[in-house]
Amino acid sequence: MKFFKLVACVLLPLLILLIPTEIIPLSGITEIEKRVIAIFIFAALSWVLEPIPIYTTSLTIILLELVLLSNKALTFLKFEGEDYGKSIPYIDILHTFASPIIILFLGGFFLAMAATKYRLDQNLARVLLSPFGSSPKAVMFGVMLITAIFSMFMSNTATTAMMLSILTPVLALCKPDDKGKIGLLLSVPVAANIGGIGTPIGTPPNAVALKYLTGDDVISFGQWMSFAVPYVAVLLIIGWFILIFLYPIRTEQIKLDIKGQFLKNTKAYVVYATFIVTILLWLTDFIHGMNAYIVAMIPVTVFSISGIINKKDLQNISWDVLWLVSGGIALGLALDVTGLADRLISSISFENFPPLVIITAAALIAALMANFMSNTATANLLLPLIAVVGTTVASLTDLGGSQMVIIVTTIACSMGMALPISTPPNALAFGTGIITTKDMAKPGIVIATIGLLLSFALVAIMFLTGFFK
Amino acid sequence: MNSLFIICVDDQPEVLNALEQDLKLFDEKFNVEVCDSAAEAIELMDEIDQHGDYAAVVITDQVMPELTGVDLLSKITGDERFHDTQKILLTGLATHEDTIQAINTGGIDHYIEKPWSKEEITNIIKKCLTQFILTKGIEYQSYMEYLDQDTLYKSLKTNT
Repeated sequence: MKFFKLVACVLLPLLILLIPTEIIPLSGITEIEKRVIAIFIFAALSWVLEPIPIYTTSLTIILLELVLLSNKALTFLKFEGEDYGKSIPYIDILHTFASPIIILFLGGFFLAMAATKYRLDQNLARVLLSPFGSSPKAVMFGVMLITAIFSMFMSNTATTAMMLSILTPVLALCKPDDKGKIGLLLSVPVAANIGGIGTPIGTPPNAVALKYLTGDDVISFGQWMSFAVPYVAVLLIIGWFILIFLYPIRTEQIKLDIKGQFLKNTKAYVVYATFIVTILLWLTDFIHGMNAYIVAMIPVTVFSISGIINKKDLQNISWDVLWLVSGGIALGLALDVTGLADRLISSISFENFPPLVIITAAALIAALMANFMSNTATANLLLPLIAVVGTTVASLTDLGGSQMVIIVTTIACSMGMALPISTPPNALAFGTGIITTKDMAKPGIVIATIGLLLSFALVAIMFLTGFFK
Repeated sequence: MNSLFIICVDDQPEVLNALEQDLKLFDEKFNVEVCDSAAEAIELMDEIDQHGDYAAVVITDQVMPELTGVDLLSKITGDERFHDTQKILLTGLATHEDTIQAINTGGIDHYIEKPWSKEEITNIIKKCLTQFILTKGIEYQSYMEYLDQDTLYKSLKTNT
């Protein structure tokens, strides 16, 4: 099975590489652009079929670009003339490994690692959960709130693992036939998936989106939170209602038992202080002028100097996540620099479609893809094209252009949450064996549908309040 | 994909049969192999290593002719190829001395007393497999239903 998938992922792109450019129904397409199409198809196929781990697909994209598209490409593949097209400086392709986006994420990783190591996460969870008492519905809301807040700064997977380790012992105490167990268990992945939308570092698709919000379209860390956090809050409350409606809890009392107390040593204080300072700096760039990428280097440096994150901890960094994003950036770079994205989008007469149809289609495609493949890979594939649609289609530019379509599509990338394979948090919840796929799909589909509609409402409000200049 | 092996060692065929029966649920994703002596187990592990597969868990009886269970586990502990292999001693007849040796030189991860219950042994093997898979960096997602959730959460919590 895996073998056939691999063959499909290799053969189709190879076929495109071998056919003459004249056959491709895009007027004026160059050799280089044709190679970008082949690489894009390879990326799409192997991210969907996953014959190889998704981050290795990213690495392959980068290698293929270096060999086939760069100014240092294989000599015998290059030729003079206009038909060849515009090659990409190899240095730009390699730079994707250390793109500012990657550094921003690295900063987020350092914050998350330090918080876990000094048990800030566990202790915050304990303190924040205590006001919610022992009524199951309230506890469930507390769990969702904390999961959502944490997943804005930590990876959705790590947050889910932490919250499930708190929650699962309690589920064992529920009455065996209590459907509410399902709801309680699902509340964690649902909140983690939704919460990730809240900040640029909450989930990789957001970071990918930042990559395409450049020039006049730049959105700062604080600006992102100013619209994303209210969105998360509303969708979280809706999600809570849906879960307690679908899976009413019959157990009368639930007591979450989180042990521990805040560490009171110098290193722990450095962690708390750095955490607060970093977030404050992220929110106040309009005062001090340092953008989010620069601020992200502060926790990285402070935690390294102080030995809070040591060489051993560096091995726990999810390089696979960073490389997955790098490959996406490299793919976007190729589509942009070679001019293929422009050519592709302008060849489809989007002008004839009403803007609402375009936005709805983009959101639906993103949400659908994200259900069956990695959210980040979905963003990697769709956002470079969507960004061009936003700038070239006149009817959209009046409504907020790139910013608007990118926000809607990025949120939609986080709406893939109906299946156990949709996101790692879903897989973890499913792994407990308490729920079936159907249990997960019901609220997943309802919440995602409402989430998509809500994202339209969000950009409408942003449009009316003059967020898009 | 490389296969993961669960190796059961005991000189009594009826015990091996019972073990095989209790570990049936692992058959689908793992290779459950039985050996009637420590020497056979060592030979098998050698073969597994040659093929590039993994000897994930070894469950052995203590009292056996020639090499005892602790002898076997000590050999495995000393062999760098099987550094991450999870070691379980399954016995009803271990002396105080054996137990000390099992911990100090055998490096055992779990001690199961005979007679065992199916539930107990299943849970312990799940824990060991999870530990092995996470240490080796094998993609855990495809083994989800055989993993011990608690061990998994602890590991994922500390990853970014």
